[in-house]
Amino acid sequence: MSGPLILAVESSCDETAIAVVEGGRRILSNVVASQTALHAATGGIVPEVAARAHLRWIVPVLDEALAGAGVSVPDVDAVAVTYGPGLAGSLLVGINFAKTLAYVHDKPLVGVNHLEGHLYAAWLLDPGEAERGAPVFPLVALIVSGGHTFLVEMRDHLTYRLLGQTVDDAAGEAFDKVGRLLGLPYPGGPAIQGAAENATRHDAVFPRAWLGDTYDFSFSGLKTAARRTVDEARVAAGLPVGLALEAGADARLPEATTAELAWGFQDSVVDVLATKTIRAAEEVDARTIVLGGGVAANAALRARIAAEAEARSLLLNVPRPGLCTDNGAMIGAAAAWRFEAGDLASLDLDARPSLPLARREPVTR
Amino acid sequence: MTGDGAATNGRRPWVLGIDTATSRVVVAAAAPEGTFLGATTWEAGYRHGEQLLPAIGRLHGELNLRRSRITAIVVGTGPGAFTGLRVGIATAKALAHSLGRPIIGVSSAEALIAAATDRATPPERVVLLLPAGASDRIVVRPGQAPELLPGGSDPDLAEDEVLVAVDLEGRAPPDASARGTRARDGLATSLMRLGTERLAAGEEDDLARLVPDYVTLPRGVKAASGEVAWSRDHR
Ligand SMILES: [Zn+2]
Repeated sequence: MSGPLILAVESSCDETAIAVVEGGRRILSNVVASQTALHAATGGIVPEVAARAHLRWIVPVLDEALAGAGVSVPDVDAVAVTYGPGLAGSLLVGINFAKTLAYVHDKPLVGVNHLEGHLYAAWLLDPGEAERGAPVFPLVALIVSGGHTFLVEMRDHLTYRLLGQTVDDAAGEAFDKVGRLLGLPYPGGPAIQGAAENATRHDAVFPRAWLGDTYDFSFSGLKTAARRTVDEARVAAGLPVGLALEAGADARLPEATTAELAWGFQDSVVDVLATKTIRAAEEVDARTIVLGGGVAANAALRARIAAEAEARSLLLNVPRPGLCTDNGAMIGAAAAWRFEAGDLASLDLDARPSLPLARREPVTR
Repeated sequence: MTGDGAATNGRRPWVLGIDTATSRVVVAAAAPEGTFLGATTWEAGYRHGEQLLPAIGRLHGELNLRRSRITAIVVGTGPGAFTGLRVGIATAKALAHSLGRPIIGVSSAEALIAAATDRATPPERVVLLLPAGASDRIVVRPGQAPELLPGGSDPDLAEDEVLVAVDLEGRAPPDASARGTRARDGLATSLMRLGTERLAAGEEDDLARLVPDYVTLPRGVKAASGEVAWSRDHR
């Protein structure tokens, strides 16, 4: 395999991740220290705690990534780092760490947009994985996680057109919130999927925010509706509502009810995400659909989009779950294209917490 | 820029120091046995991260020192500005890792207290006051754990104690702030003195575990401890 050997650092949210990637595709190592367990106690990410954990884990993660790839920093062609969007304090740790590695070892520095990284996860090959075709342009990518929910069109490398995005909460946040309402553990995504798999009636109906013909998303109304529905179910079951919801396992709804509500909520989110993705793919004549972000690990979403893509002869590329959530390898993949394009960062690279992926243009074709 | 760097011949070993805990960033150099060689300092603003590496390069260039001759990295660990500490410690860790040199964390508060100490004011009489967000303050006495002073309350001073207020202009008595400014001006030399003393004693910190000293935790957080889950991703 040819192409640049990139050491990539990702610390935009609550994973401290470093990878070594060759040629924008082949993973040599990909190490992630995830703070999920650390944040479970508080029910979510606390920026100060996240930044401190990045400082605590970044050196061991680097050592592990270098050892796993069998390389040392002088062997790589460039050092890449996520510089936004994300939590400012978390981004700063990775950026200053990566900049200093590049500075001392005299390597080019590549700044990567975190969202672009999620798109490039679709190009990655695991160590030892057989070669397979790269995603075919034009493509439409749906990236959904606790931090992002957006649809983007790519007609070529490093070329993005934002089709739509959430106007309020990210889909993953809604999963966390509704998971909490149902007394399920954090993070909510896997917990809700697990509970929903036990549903038998499939008759719980939650609202869908279509927002007209746009490709935008909204989940705040769904959260409010979920709260109301959960409260009603609790009253019906003779359980306290409101603040008492946090009270613990004894006060939880019967498992069958939890399963139906989890299914109904998940069905609403999946329906909106899948419908808009397929419609966008048709409208821009995409040949490939790419899924990414932590919520792309959701089995119901994968199954629904796979079925609809197959019916339309669209290629579907869904990275395995470990590459859908935040990781360094995806940053290394995107960085290879930036590096080849000569798009290098200077040592005054700073965090851009609100870095946009692409300008928004009306969808007319 | 201060110091006697002109005397160096480019091959002398040296210790690099960084402190980003106060509103004035410090990058300093000292000989391993403690002789102070020079420092550059500047008002941090909100952009520590953009200026730190270029400043390190300028400092050793002007002092005729070589990066390859660094024998240890000394870094101020706070307490202090969250953003600055992240930038400073992330940079110091990558430097220590890349150069394969030990890292030595020095409490920025201890260094400020040392800088505020003189014949008339021994360290045991110094009470350091630091900002903690927009309204709270932190009280540090030598050898004691820092305490949070909620907004609206004032430190309880013994008769012979001397208040030194750093980065608290308008939020502390003017004489305390004046002493604080002097202490901050002396931070580079006291940081390097404390750091090289630890180095001479054969001490160093664990590169992985060194983290900033936070006195306060965000609302709703009971402990800063906790583990993360590792994935080496061998599938
Ligand atoms: Zn992400």
